[in-house]
Parts: sequence; structure tokens; C-alpha cells
Amino acid sequence: MVFTDALRAMAVKELSDKLKSKWVIVITIVFAVFTLIIAYFGSVSSGVVSFTNMSATIASLTSLAIYFIPILALTLGGGIIADERDRQTLDLYLASPISVFEFLAGKFIGLAASLAIPIIVGFCLPGFVLIFKAGSGSLTGFLMFVVNSIFLGIMFLSISFLVSVLIVERSKSIAFTVFLWLLFTILYDLSLVGVLIITKGVLSPKIFSLLLMLNPVDVYRILNFITIGQFSVILGLASVELPGFMNRYVLWVVNLFWIVSPLFISYFVFKRKYLK
Amino acid sequence: MKITFNEVTKRYGDVVALEKVTLEIAHGETFGLVGPNGSGKSTLMRLLLGIIKPTEGSVLFDGVLLDELGWIEIRRQIGYMPERVSFYDNLTGLETLQHFARIKGGSVSNIKDVLGKILSNEALRRRVGGYSKGMRQRINLAQALLNNPALLVLDEPTSGLDPVGVRELYGILDELKSVRNMTIVLSSHILAEIEEKVQRVGIMKEGNIKATGSLEELYRGFNLPLRLVITLREDGDRRIVELLKAEGMDSIAIKDGSLVTDLPRDKKMRVLSCILDHKDSFSDFTVREPSLEEVFFGIH
Repeated sequence: MVFTDALRAMAVKELSDKLKSKWVIVITIVFAVFTLIIAYFGSVSSGVVSFTNMSATIASLTSLAIYFIPILALTLGGGIIADERDRQTLDLYLASPISVFEFLAGKFIGLAASLAIPIIVGFCLPGFVLIFKAGSGSLTGFLMFVVNSIFLGIMFLSISFLVSVLIVERSKSIAFTVFLWLLFTILYDLSLVGVLIITKGVLSPKIFSLLLMLNPVDVYRILNFITIGQFSVILGLASVELPGFMNRYVLWVVNLFWIVSPLFISYFVFKRKYLK
Repeated sequence: MKITFNEVTKRYGDVVALEKVTLEIAHGETFGLVGPNGSGKSTLMRLLLGIIKPTEGSVLFDGVLLDELGWIEIRRQIGYMPERVSFYDNLTGLETLQHFARIKGGSVSNIKDVLGKILSNEALRRRVGGYSKGMRQRINLAQALLNNPALLVLDEPTSGLDPVGVRELYGILDELKSVRNMTIVLSSHILAEIEEKVQRVGIMKEGNIKATGSLEELYRGFNLPLRLVITLREDGDRRIVELLKAEGMDSIAIKDGSLVTDLPRDKKMRVLSCILDHKDSFSDFTVREPSLEEVFFGIH
């Protein structure tokens, strides 16, 4: 049985720790306030102030989420093993009848839930106001945005687990997660645009799209813009078109790859490093 | 639970943390582990808990060599109290115990007979973040007992406890031992504590166990001298000192009216009969075995 008592206990502990520390509540409020502000004032540049334009709201929220959600996820998981090691509870777990899979998966599920709750509640509460104003036709689009945002958080949480397992010292681990955040949210896309300009368009749209799929932030962005049908706003490159293979289902598989592969590597690195 | 270390070596790259250690801890025994930092104590404990694997040799539980699943099963019977563990500040004492009970497949009700002696109800309701060092050690002990362990491994268990706390902790352990007949392995730097609590001791140095046995066996094995303490009467010291020096006992210290010297075992009867001939020079005397500390420093 996969969901053992020990796995559940780890997950519940992580979630209840984050709930009690008010982390979940604070982040929920921040998301809700941002969503309300963006939904209401998002179209102010075009001289409109109201809860009416769902596409513009999702586009603006996406721009916010690509910075906010990754850094939250990275800092949430980046020091998770170092924390346990520093407080000596790591040895306690390793000396308990819990497998490495139960330990890591339990922690991951608990933290993923801690991240998913603020995303769901923080986005959906003001989102329902928006749907009420914009019409129920926009419900699916908004819910897809929320689901994509949860995936974005979980992808970065998975990456942060790998960092935490690889780098034992908490300060170094956190520093590296901040570097990863910069890399995925800013440097990667800047480099891609730079390459495009230097090569004067030699890079084919197919290769360009494949390179975009290597970045979980871009995968998230593309999924959201597919949802609202405005792919051209990605990177501000109006000329870029989606190749046929780059559909929602392929991107979800890429999402899964970004979630599963860092966790898979974390499992083996952890076993090699701590149980040698 | 009987534990056997068969020529266990543990290397980390070129560093030898433990070298060809052979050790047997009997079922129901209380075994003490002493040694300075870096002597291999922690490595031995981690091997015992299955956290790390031997590079060479084997660790057997009741004569059985364990595979990965076997270790998970055997850990259901092991309680471990790490040194200075720091639990989660946001959880209450009770929530902490409930969490570890679920991890270990145990229950807080398993320790209801001793829990009241370890932590009060009021303390259990409080968040662990507000606990003193002593209370943290107490909850650490409580979590180690949650699964009714057959083997209890205690790493510096009295670290951070005041003298009353130390006495209470050992009192609880004595009680548990009498009721549950656990095998206990404990390490401590406070040798005087171990001396009173263990049946056998292992003295470690540079990745080796230099000596194992009951304290009596160790005293005799190393042929350490006895300790003679004489409470002198005024002006009586010179005669006694000269008498002892005549017997070849040169290392004599006099402090606060007491004379302290090492008494070779083979000279015990002769020296005692000599000093009894000068009863007017002293008011009292005692002869005692060397302490574990003296054995320890005799080896190091």
C-alpha cells in the first residue's frame, strides 16, 4: 500500500506545521489581495476600471505568479533536509520504521498541500467575484489558470527537494534556490531572446518551442496563454507561433516530467548520501 | 534483543571510522559506551540503528543479518533518543508524540504508565518551542518509548538535564527496565553516571573498542590501583606519609586533612595492616575501586 500511516503522518505534520506557523494564511491573503487588485485595476491602462476582462486578468495574474509561486515553492522545500539534519530529527526518522520513499513522499505531499491551499483559496475567492461579474463562461479558463498555478508550484517544490537533498547546508541550499529562481524566471528567457537576436532568427520555431519547454515557468506561461488564446504575448514575441506538437496535453506531460524527475533523483541521491 | 557486531569496519573514503569491531550485547543488558569525540561512538550507534551499513563485517540482531525490509521491521522494536534533538516548535508536546507514534507504528497510550513522570499534562499541551532544555530531553525520551522498544539506544541522554532531572530520568529507565526487560545501549561523557547504571561498558578510542566488560572486570583487567583515602588527625600526617613511602607509594596528595594515594592491589593487606598499627594518626580511612573515569583515563 502506497499511502501508509507513516507517509500520511509525515504529510499531516508538514501541513499542520505550515498552518500553525500562519504561513498558509499569510500567503492566501497575499494571493487574494493581489488577485483582487489585478482583477479590478488590471485594465486601467486602457481607461477601464472594473471586474470585466477575464483574459486580461489571467494574463496579469500569470505575470505575477511566475515570480511569486516559484520563489515560494523553492524556499518552502529548499532547506527541508538541512532543517531536519540540523535539528537532529533526520537521524530519528532514519532510525524509525519509515522508508526513504515514505519520508520524502510524505514531506512532499504535505508541502504541496501547504502550497496548493493558498493558491486555490487565494485565487478562487476573488476569482468567483470576477466570474460573477465577467460571466460563468470564463469559469473554465480561470479554473485552468488555478490548476496550472498549482502545477507550477509543485514543479518548483520538486526542484527544491532535489536542491535540499544535494546541498546539505541550509544557507547554501537557500542561496542556490534563489539562483534557480533567477535562472528560471529571468535569465533563461533573457538568454533565449538573446540567442534569437544574435542568430537573427536562425533558430527555428520548433527548436525555440522545445527550448521553452525546458523551463517550467515557460511551460506554465504557455499553458495559461493557450487557455486564454493569446500565445503571441509570450516573451513579447508576437511573431512566435505555437508548433503543432505544443498542445496542452504535451505540456502537462512536461509538467509531470518536471515533478517526477527531480523527486526520483532526490530519492536515489538521498539513499546514497544518508544511508551509505 | 541480542546484538552482535562481527568484525565491523566502517570507512568513509580513506577515513576509517570503525575498525574490525567485535562486540556482543546480551538480551536485557544495559551496555554503556564511552569514548572521546571522534572515537567511533556515533558511527557504532548509527550502525546499530541501521542508518549506515558496515563496509566490512556484519551487525546481527538475535543472530539474523537484516536486509532493507528487515531493518524497517527491526526498527519497530528500537527506541532511539538522539542527543539534543530539537523538535518542531509549532507542535505541542502531545502533537509531537502523536506524530512520532504514527511514524513508529506505536501509540501515546503505550507510555501512559510513564508519561506522567516524564512530562506533565500542562507541558504536553504547550508548544515545544517554549520548552526548556530539560523538557526537550524529556520529550525526547518519551518519543523513544512510544513503540514499546525491545532495544533502547540513548545518546548522551542526560545532556542538558539538571541533577534532579538526571536522577528522575535514570529512575524512569530503572523502572522501565524492571518492567519491560529492555536491552539498553547508552553513551555518555559523564562517566560517573554510566558507572552506576550499566552492567557492562565498552571503552572506545580511534575507531576501536579498547576494552569491554563489567566495571569489575575492567578494573582487574587493567590492574589499576585501588584508591586509599585516610582522614588524618592533626600532626599524624608525617608518620603515615613516611610509612607509605617506605612501601614505595610515592604519589601522595594531602588536601583538607585527607591523604589520598594509589594502593597497589598486591600491597593492599600489608599496607592496611601497617597503617592500622598507627591508629592514633588518623580518624578514618577508606579503600575503593577506581572509578570508570580513572579506568577511562588509564586507557587514553
